[in-house]
Amino acid sequence: MTQVDHKKLLAERLSARLGRRAVLKGLGAGIVAASTAGSFPAIARAQQSGHLKIASIKVIDTLDPHFTGFLSAIQVINNIHNGLLKITYDGTEVKFEPDLAETWDLEDDKTHVFKLREGVMFHDGTPCDAEAVKFSLLRVKEGTPASPHAWKLELLSEVEVVDPLTVKLHFSEPYAFLPVALNGSTGRAGTIVSPAAVQKYGADYGRNPVGTGPFKFVSWRENDAIELEANPDYFEPGMPKLERVTFVLMNEASTALAALMSGQIDGMTDCPMQLVDQVAKFPRATLYGEIEGNYTFLGMNCKRGPFTDINLRRAAAWALDRDTLVKQAYFGRAQAAFTPISPPMTGFFDPDIATSGRGQWFDLEKAKSFRAQAAEQGEVEVTYMMAERGPVGTRVAQTIAPMLAQVGIKANLELIEPAAWVKRRNEGDFDLYDFEWVADLDPDEAIYPEFKSDGAWNFCGWVNTEFDDLCKRAQVLLDTAERAKLYHAAEDLLMDEAPIGIMTHMPIYKVFSNKVQGFQYIPADLVNLHTVSLA
Amino acid sequence: MLRQALGKIGQTLVVLFIVSVATFGLLKLAPGDPVQIMLGSEYSPEAYEQLTIEMGLDRPFLTQYLDWATNFVTGDWGTSFVARTDIFTYGFMEALPVTLTLASFSLAFAILIGVPLGVLSAVKKDTACDAGSAVLALTGTAFPSFLLGILLIWFFGVKLGWFPVMGYVSPWQDFWGGLYHMILPGLTLSTYFIAMITRLTRATLIEVLEQPYIAAARARGEPGWRVIWVHGVRNIAMPLVTILGLQLGTLLQGTVLTETVFNLPGIGQMLTSAVLGREYMVVQAGVMMTAFLFIGVNLLVDLSYPILDPRLRDRR
Repeated sequence: MTQVDHKKLLAERLSARLGRRAVLKGLGAGIVAASTAGSFPAIARAQQSGHLKIASIKVIDTLDPHFTGFLSAIQVINNIHNGLLKITYDGTEVKFEPDLAETWDLEDDKTHVFKLREGVMFHDGTPCDAEAVKFSLLRVKEGTPASPHAWKLELLSEVEVVDPLTVKLHFSEPYAFLPVALNGSTGRAGTIVSPAAVQKYGADYGRNPVGTGPFKFVSWRENDAIELEANPDYFEPGMPKLERVTFVLMNEASTALAALMSGQIDGMTDCPMQLVDQVAKFPRATLYGEIEGNYTFLGMNCKRGPFTDINLRRAAAWALDRDTLVKQAYFGRAQAAFTPISPPMTGFFDPDIATSGRGQWFDLEKAKSFRAQAAEQGEVEVTYMMAERGPVGTRVAQTIAPMLAQVGIKANLELIEPAAWVKRRNEGDFDLYDFEWVADLDPDEAIYPEFKSDGAWNFCGWVNTEFDDLCKRAQVLLDTAERAKLYHAAEDLLMDEAPIGIMTHMPIYKVFSNKVQGFQYIPADLVNLHTVSLA
Repeated sequence: MLRQALGKIGQTLVVLFIVSVATFGLLKLAPGDPVQIMLGSEYSPEAYEQLTIEMGLDRPFLTQYLDWATNFVTGDWGTSFVARTDIFTYGFMEALPVTLTLASFSLAFAILIGVPLGVLSAVKKDTACDAGSAVLALTGTAFPSFLLGILLIWFFGVKLGWFPVMGYVSPWQDFWGGLYHMILPGLTLSTYFIAMITRLTRATLIEVLEQPYIAAARARGEPGWRVIWVHGVRNIAMPLVTILGLQLGTLLQGTVLTETVFNLPGIGQMLTSAVLGREYMVVQAGVMMTAFLFIGVNLLVDLSYPILDPRLRDRR
């Protein structure tokens, strides 16, 4: 690959706002506008008003971006911090754009150069400069205690501070996954935290986060609320618009909905699928939600028990009636999936997947013919481990069991408590389970760590070195079309050998009262509130 | 008297010790692992090892217990694994007052509604009034509180918009605001007790009203209300207080559901989320506080007998 092609490709992945020339030369009109705003923060000062109260239903573990494993935490973290890059969405395409950086450029295919905005300050008054960026990245890569997201920066060989506003990242190999590693997924390797605050609070940084974001952290009362207040010195001009934000921590979604309907709160960061019909009928609220980067699947244990037999796995995978599953388990809200790569992965998702002949779908005849080739011809009895967890609880298991019975697999549903479920899944102590991988914005993240041979998350224990090889080759390519080809081939292997039966892609919903204006929906389960105001 | 009190305190300590060992052991035996929950879905085996050691979960059971117990007694309740909150602040300063407020409001509702209803049905025994209160009481006992809570929320909170559907306001800072926020959860939690008190009041009062001293009071020409409310009700106070003390466990158990439905940040919610997250230390602190509360209230009940019944007072 020549260097020119490479830059062109990168430019195409960058924002429409900055434009290709701007990215390549670092001096476009968009950048001038951005840097002007950055150097005169006084102009950027906005009049803030209004107190937004929004229910957060899922568990929030910590507000430390480098240690969280939950998107519910990211929803809050993103309002306090900024990253080198941010995720944007224009209604059709998900993109990664510079955030704290003014420009993002490639010196060669292993060296990324970020020029930072001038004059950006952390909430504690310390400057957000190249040293702070270096500190944050190294905290993820090699800090103690070790960040669970360290693997995302494994290929990072050096962080070079060129000048106070320029930082160069050297990688040992070309790294196509970088934008997602920095800013996608659960936990953010590229989110910049205040070094002074980390030194001050140590392991308690997650209770005292200090970033550069539109809102400052005020307090976190357990099971009650997380309070934020506007950062009047925020670098984006005219933002934030709200004076205060309260994330009301709730366990019971139906209470949150009642509070929304009676006007006690203004929104919900997550609206479970079973409540969506009710919300849609309610005239004073607006529902936001599209199919996001995720996939749900039936996992089969390839290491022990009857599903070591590939034909039995294939029979199960082809016996799943996806339309019935969507209707009965997912309240008619999800979309049947054919492979793991999901619609928001622009450039990798095949819009014609349904007719392409790739992947898995419901075909009882095909399922029966695979069943006929299985080693065990009598009825096979298996344990299907389920828990009241995930977006629809045990509904999936209950819908699937009769489908499996049609191909002579008797699934004994075993209901266990969520913590026990996680333990047994991680130890491979099951025959069947269902799960959902969420927040996938890159095909690598969607399939490689989940199914790489002997990988830590490969709970089904499927081993295929050809799959590993395809993914590894794709990781170091920067050309989307080339990468897509390899990932499609990898996916085809996965679907054919069927350690999982793919089921659906799910929409993720948020709801806001009609008083709330200016919310920008991004299909990555984000609740960024800097543009939001209250009427 | 002093000897008695010392004996009671000694008993209390033994019970608390047993409770603490039992919860500590049960939590360790329960399947599930705080380290896995803490790390979410994305972690490496090395991170797992390291965190286990950091959290001290690789040490033997007895060491972990003794460590915890010494710290607990000295007021150092530790920090929760995942959220890194100071458990003493979280549990004792923040959650306990919420639960105490909820429990007191429910008890007050139960007494203020239950006793008059019971008196009414005792006095108007075998009338439509009595039958009506019996039906109410039976429904109240049979109705699951979480369902009642949700129904109250939908009717009074959403449809009529009279009361807030969630949240906690401290009555110490804003009494009327606190009361306003406690009406729905207080009613939800107290239904069972209203029913119980109504039945108990009715049964004991009927018995009391047949006693000679009631006849004597009537014979003295005292007004009807005085006979019932002063001579009658005073004599049912003892069984009432005894039952309430014993039923406090049920009440605390009820706070778990009520707090979840109405989103009150009390001990019930604290325990639920801690159990699901295998936050051993938080569960432990919650159980200890609940046990202490239960034992403490029953101690108070014992001590209140001489006040309620002059015959039990020390004779000089």
